[in-house]
Amino acid sequence: MVDTEPFHPRIICPVNTVFEIYKHIIPDFSLFQESLTKPFPVHLRMNRLLAEPSKVVSALRKNGIVITRVCREHDTLYFAEDLPYPGNLLEYFLGHIHPQATTSALAAMALKPRKHALILDMCAAPGGKSAHLADLMENTGFMVCNDLYANRQVSLGHTLSRLGVQNSVVTGYQAQEFPLRQPFDYILADVPCSCEGRFRKTSEITQYRENRRKAQLPDIQKKIILRGFDLLKNDGEMLYATCTYNPAENESVVNFLLKERDADLLPIHLGIVFEPGLTEWNNEKYDKRLTRTARFYPHHVNSVGFFMARIGRK
Amino acid sequence: MSIRWASSWPELAGNDSRRAVETYLLERFGIPPAVLDEYYLFERKKGWFILGKSEQVKNGAHLKVSKVGLRAFRKVGQFIKPTTRFIQAFGRFATKNIFQMDMTQFKTLVLTGEITVDLALEKGYVILTLEDGRILGLGFYIHGAIRSQLPGKEIRESMLESFCTGE
Repeated sequence: MVDTEPFHPRIICPVNTVFEIYKHIIPDFSLFQESLTKPFPVHLRMNRLLAEPSKVVSALRKNGIVITRVCREHDTLYFAEDLPYPGNLLEYFLGHIHPQATTSALAAMALKPRKHALILDMCAAPGGKSAHLADLMENTGFMVCNDLYANRQVSLGHTLSRLGVQNSVVTGYQAQEFPLRQPFDYILADVPCSCEGRFRKTSEITQYRENRRKAQLPDIQKKIILRGFDLLKNDGEMLYATCTYNPAENESVVNFLLKERDADLLPIHLGIVFEPGLTEWNNEKYDKRLTRTARFYPHHVNSVGFFMARIGRK
Repeated sequence: MSIRWASSWPELAGNDSRRAVETYLLERFGIPPAVLDEYYLFERKKGWFILGKSEQVKNGAHLKVSKVGLRAFRKVGQFIKPTTRFIQAFGRFATKNIFQMDMTQFKTLVLTGEITVDLALEKGYVILTLEDGRILGLGFYIHGAIRSQLPGKEIRESMLESFCTGE
């Protein structure tokens, strides 16, 4: 029988032992475990393409919605702790806000595209990061938002339209086979991953289910990172990102790129606390430059666990 | 040099088509044609799409695309109908056929799909705004009433509640 489901549970762990394998790499592990018992706070990104953030913040507060700024450096990122359904707000319909985990929003900020650039988002659906890139570029330049699956392209298109993006097209190539004809200034490779960083032990979730395809993911991720790098202009920059803690999908993939190509890792400056990437895992040694990558943990940032590497050519 | 678009791209709108859209925007809403100067206008079947002009666009013209830019207009009968998303982004340039709703009218429009108004307007689309100036989208004015053209699936009653809380 053909397996048509993309993901199936393979390993089921009781929640109190989940992620024990990362005990020695995640600092303050007990605090990390404790953070997983709390539900995700709602995070909002103010969309500058359609509204001035300060006005949106005022409108939300006028309606009794409690929001707090994530940090001083970023005036578009907010926590909304007691807001269960941001999609029910008028500001959502108007495209003034986008519910987006802070760490996800940091991806576009780390890439920090200049205006009038040529951009590729290799795995773009559902489109929050693409729309953020368009926001940072003030709708200038040209952005290719790629996603293989037709149904995901639909949600991608809706997100881009709702948020007022006017500088983009949607394509449906396999990321690892994206045509090489034209190099790009900036590339975002927010690759398919095991999504461990999205796991929280809530009352409804009593078990952690690991994806059956987890073992296959690093191979796909390595192909995507190589293709992304090969699509970069000489002075181009790529951001490789996942929402998992798994070094095999993070440092190991970036280390593979450093071995295979003349790539370098660029520093990440975000004004938000993160841990440096690992230089070894499971007896595998990585390039020392991996310390320039960034690991974001939920007990530090109250958001989705995330990994990012900013990549350029040597 | 003209751009060679891959066959998956919609057609670039011809001069007549572009002029028809610009004339409509100017005559109906007072939106100056110059607003669209910085955009490519593509056309497919009964829809028009805008894409910001950039030197970079030619570098992606060879790609097989499933969506281009922002869907901006549809042809509905004899009318050109701007999309909600176009009006939310460009409605600020309009100078006429704008209807500002108070909270009661907004609520009635969303719940019943229509509000009775006494306006000296020609039949056709009107831009709907709230009292604080935020642009919602379009209504259709006919026989002394405005019929909602807001996307019913996207405007929810909960939005009214959240909006009303601050009143």
